[in-house]
Amino acid sequence: MEGKLADITRLFQKFKAAYDKNDTETSDNILSQLKVKLTELPSLPPLFKSSPSSIQELLLARDILEHAVVLSVKMEDQDAFERHFLQLKSYYTDTRGVIPPSGQEYPILGLNLLRLLVQNRIAEFHTELELLPPAAHDHSCIKHAVELEQSFMEGAYNRVLSARQAVPHETYVYFMDLLAKTVRDEIAGCSEKAYDSLSLVEAKKILMFASDQELLAYVLDDHPDWEIRGTRVYFQRAKKLAPCKEIPSLQLINQTLGYARELERIV
Amino acid sequence: MTVVSTASGLLAMLQESHPTLKLHALKNLNVLVDNFWPEISTNISAIESLYEDDTFYERQLAALVASKVFYYLGELNDSLTYALGAGPLFDVSEDTEYVQTLVTKCVDEYILLSVKAAESNESEKTALDPRLVAIVERMLDKCMQDGKFQQAVGVALECRRLDKLEESIIRSENASAMLSYCLRLSQTFVSRREFRHEVLRLLVKSYQGLQQPDYLSICQCLMFLDEPADVAAILDKLLKGDKSEALLAYQIAFDLFENEYQKFLLNVRDLLPESTSASSSAPLSVTNGGLIQGTRGNGISAMTDGGPTAMDSDLTEPLLGSYAAEESADVSAPPVEERTSYTERLTKLKGILSGETPISLTLQFLYSHNRSDLLILKTIKQSVEMRNSVCHSATIYSNALMHAGTTVDTFLRENLDWLKRATNWAKFSATAGLGVIHRGHHQQGRSLMAPYLPQNGGTGGGSPYSEGGALYALGLIHANHGEGIKQFLLESLRNTSNEVIQHGACLGLGLAALGTADEEIYEDVKNVLYTDSAVAGEAAGIAMGLLMVGTASEKATEMLAYAHDTQHEKIIRGLALGIALVVYGREEEADTLIEQMTRDQDPILRYGGMYALAMAYRGTANNSAIRRLLHFAVSDVSDDVRRTAVLALGFVLCSEPEQTPRIVSLLSESYNAHVRYGAAMAVGISCAGSGSSEAISLLEPLTSDAVDFVRQGALIAMAMVLLQTTEAREPRVATFRRQLEKIINDKHEETMSKMGAILAQGILDAGGRNVAIMLQSRTGHDRVTAVVGMAVFSQFWYWYPLIYFISLSFAPTAFIGLNEELRMPKFNFVSETKPSLFGYPPSVAPPAATSAVKLPTAVLSTSNRAKVRGAKREAEAKASKATGHEAGAGSSSSKAEGLVDGDKDSTHAAKDENAMDVDGGTQKKAVVVEPSSEVLSNPARVVPAQEKFIKFREDSRYAPLKLKRAPSGFVMLRDLTPSEPVELVSTDTPLSAGGAGTAHANTNATAIAVEDNEPPPPEPFEYVP
Repeated sequence: MEGKLADITRLFQKFKAAYDKNDTETSDNILSQLKVKLTELPSLPPLFKSSPSSIQELLLARDILEHAVVLSVKMEDQDAFERHFLQLKSYYTDTRGVIPPSGQEYPILGLNLLRLLVQNRIAEFHTELELLPPAAHDHSCIKHAVELEQSFMEGAYNRVLSARQAVPHETYVYFMDLLAKTVRDEIAGCSEKAYDSLSLVEAKKILMFASDQELLAYVLDDHPDWEIRGTRVYFQRAKKLAPCKEIPSLQLINQTLGYARELERIV
Repeated sequence: MTVVSTASGLLAMLQESHPTLKLHALKNLNVLVDNFWPEISTNISAIESLYEDDTFYERQLAALVASKVFYYLGELNDSLTYALGAGPLFDVSEDTEYVQTLVTKCVDEYILLSVKAAESNESEKTALDPRLVAIVERMLDKCMQDGKFQQAVGVALECRRLDKLEESIIRSENASAMLSYCLRLSQTFVSRREFRHEVLRLLVKSYQGLQQPDYLSICQCLMFLDEPADVAAILDKLLKGDKSEALLAYQIAFDLFENEYQKFLLNVRDLLPESTSASSSAPLSVTNGGLIQGTRGNGISAMTDGGPTAMDSDLTEPLLGSYAAEESADVSAPPVEERTSYTERLTKLKGILSGETPISLTLQFLYSHNRSDLLILKTIKQSVEMRNSVCHSATIYSNALMHAGTTVDTFLRENLDWLKRATNWAKFSATAGLGVIHRGHHQQGRSLMAPYLPQNGGTGGGSPYSEGGALYALGLIHANHGEGIKQFLLESLRNTSNEVIQHGACLGLGLAALGTADEEIYEDVKNVLYTDSAVAGEAAGIAMGLLMVGTASEKATEMLAYAHDTQHEKIIRGLALGIALVVYGREEEADTLIEQMTRDQDPILRYGGMYALAMAYRGTANNSAIRRLLHFAVSDVSDDVRRTAVLALGFVLCSEPEQTPRIVSLLSESYNAHVRYGAAMAVGISCAGSGSSEAISLLEPLTSDAVDFVRQGALIAMAMVLLQTTEAREPRVATFRRQLEKIINDKHEETMSKMGAILAQGILDAGGRNVAIMLQSRTGHDRVTAVVGMAVFSQFWYWYPLIYFISLSFAPTAFIGLNEELRMPKFNFVSETKPSLFGYPPSVAPPAATSAVKLPTAVLSTSNRAKVRGAKREAEAKASKATGHEAGAGSSSSKAEGLVDGDKDSTHAAKDENAMDVDGGTQKKAVVVEPSSEVLSNPARVVPAQEKFIKFREDSRYAPLKLKRAPSGFVMLRDLTPSEPVELVSTDTPLSAGGAGTAHANTNATAIAVEDNEPPPPEPFEYVP
């Protein structure tokens, strides 16, 4: 057991070295080895077997996963981020009484909140928020995410975009960029509902594009159902109303008559 | 202890690319699934894809996790699929809800599939999932290891796995108990005939494999399988063995006889080796012992017939005397050893198989124990209007049923003038009624009926109605055992062209040759049918059915074709019923024909289709049959069909009487009176004699229905349900009796319900209060005759004379203990319950003076005299005695008094005391405390519900051969002290054993015929047309 732990620690050192050098490929490779090795430790979730070295093991595992989370942000891999975060979360929630809290905890939680915001998973965002202790809300990382969400909900999209400048942690930048995209999608969705058509100039302004090219590329990529005719963008096609369903009166009458007949027969 | 709060981390790990991580996640999930299945269920697709991933080497684990999740989601089918995929990881022995549920599901699935496979054609057979089979087999093995053999047997039976069935029987410690369990199951739960036969064959095989083969059960099985040769072989082997083996052979024969499967019995008899005629005269006298006793018992009543019978009885008189002397000396059956030769035993056995011995013993029992209450009949007779012919004949029917098989026809003799009012068909049925009364009286039957029978050659002075009735009566007397009378009936049929006589002869032939499939008779009956006469044709149709009962022969198609040809509704109806009888008990085999009939345009044939369903699936409680019947009961356009469909439910459910009230309870509230009638009859048929509380509750409101014929049906059904139920067991009996009385006396009551009430009286006291309606024998086999009789009886809606068919379903509720000479030794046993719980109902008190005013003058004098006499004799005043024959009143009463006093044994003492208690009313009430048990002496009346209370004394000289067998019917007794002289129950003196009722009847008879010689014998019972 001791050997294993030392083994993992050694490997982790290697990983950290590569990580510090921003050599993502090497560190990813080492990380996957580390993860396999972690499964061999019985004191980790979900088994939580207590052993003399369990605290060390837990601390090490948490550290590894925290690094993994940050690494996946660096690699701009959202799925990996989610996977690692979910695995990590158990260390934050379930082992609170066993090992001392980590300094990375709130930044990472904030990151996760941001991710949920980016992915427009507002319900989960709030769930996560509720699970945090009230004290945590004051932490700058969490506060940041909460404020962003509020702006987002209010529709104060400019505030969202300007917040990029005031990130509490360098890893947040990646998500802030993604957030701009999310905001744009929101705006596009609203415009679709609100207008039949918009002039290109207006559309550019609303969607906060700098140039017509960017707008055209965006329309082509994300909204192929929009139609650009002349200087206007038309949204109608998406607005087509589903025809009101006809009431199946004949069928209903038949059924009712059938029931009446059956009733008469049975009783 | 730290626990995880979420499985999301593990689920996330499933997405990792490295297989080790996936495996790690799966392993942990498998542990956590019980708590975190809601979380996992959102990611179930990931697990499913892992299972489908061929490169993943722990696919089975993925399957197990998926299966568990689906189980928690309630998706048992998916869960099962994955559990099967999990292979050996799915551990059947695990004691969790999950495993138990899935194993159950698995077994269900397997049963479904294997049944489907067994029933589909060879080509359609789909291979069963071997994994499924493996699980079920593992399950079965586990059952057997744990000693839960009953479960194993049940599952194996349901899965149709005969190999496993056999294995579990062999492996169980108590193989014989297992076998009998299996036998019962195969009768009640195996709904498919062919498979049941396979099971039975297996059972026979296993039974024979036992160290001490249970021949009783083997023979039962073989009877179900219809293999007379094997039975004959077994019986033959037993006969060659020692004394107790011979006893066993007799017992088997009696048990087989109880199932009334005539054709089979005759086959067995014929397959037994011929007994050499060179055998000594001793066996002959023994075999005939029973018969002669029967004859003797009835000689007296026969004698009073006068005319030709008087001659007969004169002839038997000396014989009688000698035997009486021998037996009263109590020294019969001297040396036993010499007599027990093989041939002698063979003759005895054949006597049983042919029905001679049991029938005469039954007859003797019914005669000697007859407790019918003539006063009831008298009341009925007085209260029905003179001109109302329906009630008049109903009274005659009622009398016949009350005295069915007792040979006591006192009532008819006393009321000859009244009887003469019956004309035409009423006369037909009045004559036929004699057949019911003398049922089983094979020796004297012919001579009894002689005055009414058509005379050979001559044109015959009698009316065709009484002649036809007499032929029908002969059929009733010889029902199911008509070897001797067949020829005579056939000749009578050939010699006449009168449709009434043809009618009687056809019915008679049908009854006498029931189920024999005799081609000669069939051809003759068919000729009658082709004359296309409505009256004769109807009877012919029924008779053809009776002849061919259960053969499912091609004849059914022929009959159906003719039913389409003819114009007469009566003939169609007769044929429809006939066809139904032909498919008796064939279950699925009959489906084609049933389908054909139920889809017919003609409502009468659809009606026949209902009967066909009833007959084919009698007593199987087959779900599909019930479903079909219920469908017709609510959807057919013809009332007749609907009524019959409901009624037929009674037959299908007769093996599970407790089900019927529940199933028909809604129908009994139908707006359609016909459906209500059907519901009442269905309950009556299936719950007959059960005294079931639900059945009574269902019928009670129907007895005061707004529609007259519903009341009729309900009253009859109620009587059937309450048959032999005492007030102590079901207080509503008394209410019902009062209700009947009220209906009969009510001048404003409609004729239909009045008739119902009168018939109900007859059924309630049927067979001298010593019979029950039994559609199934004790071993669970359906009694063909009884079911057929009941079916034809239910036709009385259209044709009153068919009422008599109900007598076929009567079975004596008797314990008749026999020694190896097939005689009844004196022997007592105990019924450990209050006598009143199963006793006879008290006789009706003579009418009070107030009610007497309303009666006609002639009767008034009698009842007055009765009253006077009653007062004089106080406690001795038996109602029946009081109403005795006027002429012989004085002498008979004094004689009866003496005899009753002198010859009572403890049983009757107790009973009399009870009776007196009731009669005497308040005077003695406080004093008598009812004993908690009573001593019965062989032969005794033991009603089915009483059987469990019967105990045999330890110190008794005789013990029953088979202890496990229900103590009723014919029981072979083992003599524990064979060296002592045998004391037999003296059966020749009719005055001894009987209770008050018998004493009365016989005293009268003897008084008239023998002792006093004062009044001349009554005129032969003959009608002036």
